[in-house]
Amino acid sequence: MPFSRRQFIKGLSALPLLGASVPFLPTALAAATEQAITGRRIFNLLVNPEPPSLSSFNTTAGTTITASSKVLEGLLGYDENLAPQPALATAWEAAADGLSYRFTLRQGVKWHDGQPFTSEDVAFSLDLIKRFHPRGGGTFANLASVETPDAHTAIVRLSKPAPYLIRAFAAGETPILPKHLYASGDPLSNPHNNAPVGTGPYRFKQWQRGSFIEYERNPDYWNAGYPGVDTLFLKVIPDSAARLAAFENGSLDAGGQSPVPLSDLARITANGKLKFTTRGYAYSITPTMLEFNLDNPLLARHEVRQAIAHAIDREVIRKVVYYGYADVSVSPIPKSFAQYHYDGPDPYPFDIAKANALLDQAGLPKKGTSRFSLTLDPLPYGDSYARTATYIRSALARVGIDVQLRAQDFPTYIKRVYTDRDFDFAVVGMGTTFDPTVGVQRLFWSKNFRKGVPFTNGTHYNNPEVDRLLESAAVETDETRRGELFKAFQKIVIEELPSITLVMQQQVTVFNARVSGFEADGNGLDGSLAAVSITGEAVAHG
Amino acid sequence: MSTIAFPVQRAGRSESLWGALRRNPAALTGAAILLLTLFMALTAGYFFPGDPLDMVAAPLLWPGSDPAYLLGTDSLGRDVAAGIAHGARASLLIALYGTLISVLIGVTVGALAGYHGGRLDDILTRLSEVFQTVPSFLLVIVIVAIGTPTVNIIALAIGVSSWPTIARLIRAEFRTLREADFVTAARSQGFSSRTVILEEILPNALAPLVVTASILVASAILIEAGLAFLGMSDPNTASWGGMIGSGREQIASAWYLTALPGIAIIAVVLAFNLLGDGLNDALNPRLRRYLP
Amino acid sequence: MADRRLLRLTRRTLWQALPTVLGIVLLNFLLLRLIPGDAVDVLASESGGATVATLAQWRSHFGLDLSLGEQLLAYLSHLAHFDLGLSPRFNVPVIQLILDRLPNTLLLMVSSLVLALVVGIAAGAVMASKVGRWPDRALSLAVLVLYSTPGFWIGLMAVVLFSVTLGWLPSDGIATLGLDLSGADWLLDRVKHVVLPVLTLSSFYIALYARLTRASMLEVQRLDFVRTAKAKGLHPARVAIRHVLRNALLPVTTLAGLHFAALLGGAAVTETLFGWPGLGRLTLDAVLSRDYNLLLGILLLSSMLVVAVNVSMDLLQAWLDPRIRV
Repeated sequence: MPFSRRQFIKGLSALPLLGASVPFLPTALAAATEQAITGRRIFNLLVNPEPPSLSSFNTTAGTTITASSKVLEGLLGYDENLAPQPALATAWEAAADGLSYRFTLRQGVKWHDGQPFTSEDVAFSLDLIKRFHPRGGGTFANLASVETPDAHTAIVRLSKPAPYLIRAFAAGETPILPKHLYASGDPLSNPHNNAPVGTGPYRFKQWQRGSFIEYERNPDYWNAGYPGVDTLFLKVIPDSAARLAAFENGSLDAGGQSPVPLSDLARITANGKLKFTTRGYAYSITPTMLEFNLDNPLLARHEVRQAIAHAIDREVIRKVVYYGYADVSVSPIPKSFAQYHYDGPDPYPFDIAKANALLDQAGLPKKGTSRFSLTLDPLPYGDSYARTATYIRSALARVGIDVQLRAQDFPTYIKRVYTDRDFDFAVVGMGTTFDPTVGVQRLFWSKNFRKGVPFTNGTHYNNPEVDRLLESAAVETDETRRGELFKAFQKIVIEELPSITLVMQQQVTVFNARVSGFEADGNGLDGSLAAVSITGEAVAHG
Repeated sequence: MSTIAFPVQRAGRSESLWGALRRNPAALTGAAILLLTLFMALTAGYFFPGDPLDMVAAPLLWPGSDPAYLLGTDSLGRDVAAGIAHGARASLLIALYGTLISVLIGVTVGALAGYHGGRLDDILTRLSEVFQTVPSFLLVIVIVAIGTPTVNIIALAIGVSSWPTIARLIRAEFRTLREADFVTAARSQGFSSRTVILEEILPNALAPLVVTASILVASAILIEAGLAFLGMSDPNTASWGGMIGSGREQIASAWYLTALPGIAIIAVVLAFNLLGDGLNDALNPRLRRYLP
Repeated sequence: MADRRLLRLTRRTLWQALPTVLGIVLLNFLLLRLIPGDAVDVLASESGGATVATLAQWRSHFGLDLSLGEQLLAYLSHLAHFDLGLSPRFNVPVIQLILDRLPNTLLLMVSSLVLALVVGIAAGAVMASKVGRWPDRALSLAVLVLYSTPGFWIGLMAVVLFSVTLGWLPSDGIATLGLDLSGADWLLDRVKHVVLPVLTLSSFYIALYARLTRASMLEVQRLDFVRTAKAKGLHPARVAIRHVLRNALLPVTTLAGLHFAALLGGAAVTETLFGWPGLGRLTLDAVLSRDYNLLLGILLLSSMLVVAVNVSMDLLQAWLDPRIRV
């Protein structure tokens, strides 16, 4: 052979050195040169995977929310503490009994096709969301009617209080649709679902499937002077290496949901051209959990679940699996809900000896190195669940539980867990959303054990006391009392372990230093991006 | 497909296979690499006891930075050297097993079609055309999606999608050989078709079969790697493809996670190809036949 | 005379292709139904949940509540009206999705195939003419290493080198967005985007055609008419090109037709790696979202494409070599 393997390796090892020493060549600065040539302010936002549609009234698909919220607005926006901010509504007021909300709507707002926006659109949209949004049936379960005394007032009347409702009016969660385009025909097959017409800062221009979605600045936006961007591209880049390259050569300006390998964050942000933040995810925090199938006779035993809890070191998951971008959490309600979060001690801290002792006592002795074998299904979404599962396999091997991992694609997993219930335990992550009644209750409430329906009570947990606490919290308008109900619920599930909450994930947004103005939004990149601006000259980027 | 009227000549095997191979340095290199890989696969459990997928050290240690983990660790702190050694087992197993399946199906179909001809030949040829027209890699993906990506399913998928190559080859051989004198003689003695196929014709078609099979093994390793790249690898078994699949996230910072198993794959695939070429030269010195 | 021969060949091949295409529909239809989960499972999980009633409503909307036989009949009857149906995942007619992506994939595949043929045949011809000497040995080894390297691995390493480290070439998409380029600039931009994907996809085939050409030229060199040509005192280069190469290309062209199908499979990986909006990636997405209509549509169309390529290759051969029996 003309070259030796060692020489080859030596040759390869020169690559990263080159990366450090050779400055970026100007030809690579796609985005910056674009601007220099055309004079347009272009913002390239990542969407991955490609959204199934561009209107989020009937879906909670993450990238549909990202795409929809730029065109279709909500009544309210939210800051980082989930305090409501004006959007299509300029003022709002809850009745003392919690049974009605009065929204004053913004004057002079026009749909992108020129029609005026009125309270009729609000009434129509809330009804549509209640019927078609995956969470709408729950969030708006108590919605009795929407009254429209005039074109700029909407009064939402409820049959029972819904204390979480005021946080549900974000653009991505409860978009306001144009009644005049949706009133006739089947809303699910309305062509505007893929070519939305809204009131937002950006207008739909085109969707090249598999490649990009193009939005253009809405010159008639009600917030004059905004947005500070002429063209917004939502780019579909499925491969992480290509995403990384796109950030580094300037052809991507921002991407959320940890768009690049977290191990590379420090390196790519070292020279200051790229930055990252974990802000902008207040509206939904995702925990990583271990869900047991309680129909499995072995896992139905409390002491087995206790032993598994003792065998897992959450700190390793935080540090190694999530590269530090996670918070250890014992409780299923994240700390960000300060008034609801239960901060009690972990009843089953990391203790291998204790785990082994529990399993011995349970009559499950080691035969050779193994006591018994279980199959673990990580949710096939991104790689963090599979990585967590690899750690759990490693951790449980130390207490004599032989864990087999199962790889499968998304639909197979969904069918296995929620329809066939052919699983032992699973590593999952389901957003806690804007309120525990909407995001957390669904995983523990016995009435939400619904075969065939994804992201429901997958453990088949059934505790009447937990049901009572959750149902009371759902209608309790007194915040303190509501907090006590949630804390009592958490204390029980932490002790009984239908599932083990491991960490709360921190999502990372990577962005080019030339863009700013989205971090203070509680919805981050899933907000309207009206306030985004692009600073700096094209050359400054080089 | 039309028939190309090439003059077909069969080489007389005047010297032993070993003798021919011995004078071919390329084939010897290939054989040496393969023996080394085989040794690595067999002794993996001795040099790297324990589960190669276990998280044993700090994550992302560079090769050479810790003498206990010579080739470094991956993003979960798994030993890369242990993965490469144990991965040799899975990669070889999947490739050999997949090739065996495709040889079994291909020989059966090809022999029946080539020997009997007529209607059966038409049907079987059509069948193998169906499999050849469907992009085989997509077929592999579909089959793996039906099952789950375990070593067995991946091997089966590779076998099911790659048999037409063998079938075409065997059919052509049988069509030529069925008119040969020794076959006519055997038939006239009243031997059953089965006996004639298995004992008379097949041994004579063995040479090109071995050559093609060795190339198929090489391509099976490549298919396994491609699947793993798309995230379809067995998570309970260390395999080179799987290591590339899990390491490619870190491609820009810890490229050794992709490069090292990649080099292992190239080395073994190269070895099979070298050996295949060597066998081809040795067995068919006149007729250099390539059916990749 | 020759024309009639070619016409007959075309007709016969097309007629024979019909059962193949039908077989493909049947095979894939059945295989796809074996995969656990259906499009509605995907829709429901993507949209974040649904009620049991909604699931049932969706299934009946897409005809997924019918029996297997009824579904197949429905599909075939649609097909008879040249209708590939609706994609549940995208809520768009399948044919529109395919036609959107087809040009991109064709660009990628045809460029790769042409590059592979040109470079491969050239390398093969050089190796054959210098057989046994050092250019042959060096090229043979290089070609064999290329032949043994996974294409996506070359692609990954190329992304690291040319996109991340050097920043010379873009690593995603087919064109720079937002640039209203025209003329030479437009072309340059497109070419820059196509370089890495084409190299990735063609690497294996360059090696393959180089090997094939070399072997096949060595084969032909021994044949009588070449000896005759040489004996007549024709210039060696003229013999090599007019007599040897032309005849040696026969097996290369046969296989190039076959490789069209394999290229489409390889395109799935390449397109994923480079964010290339083509059919390969669409196929992968269709498998993952259980979009059977879309998947069947793609497989049907691509197999028809393969059949068409095969027919033209047969014709090309018949033209190259009149000895072929029709």
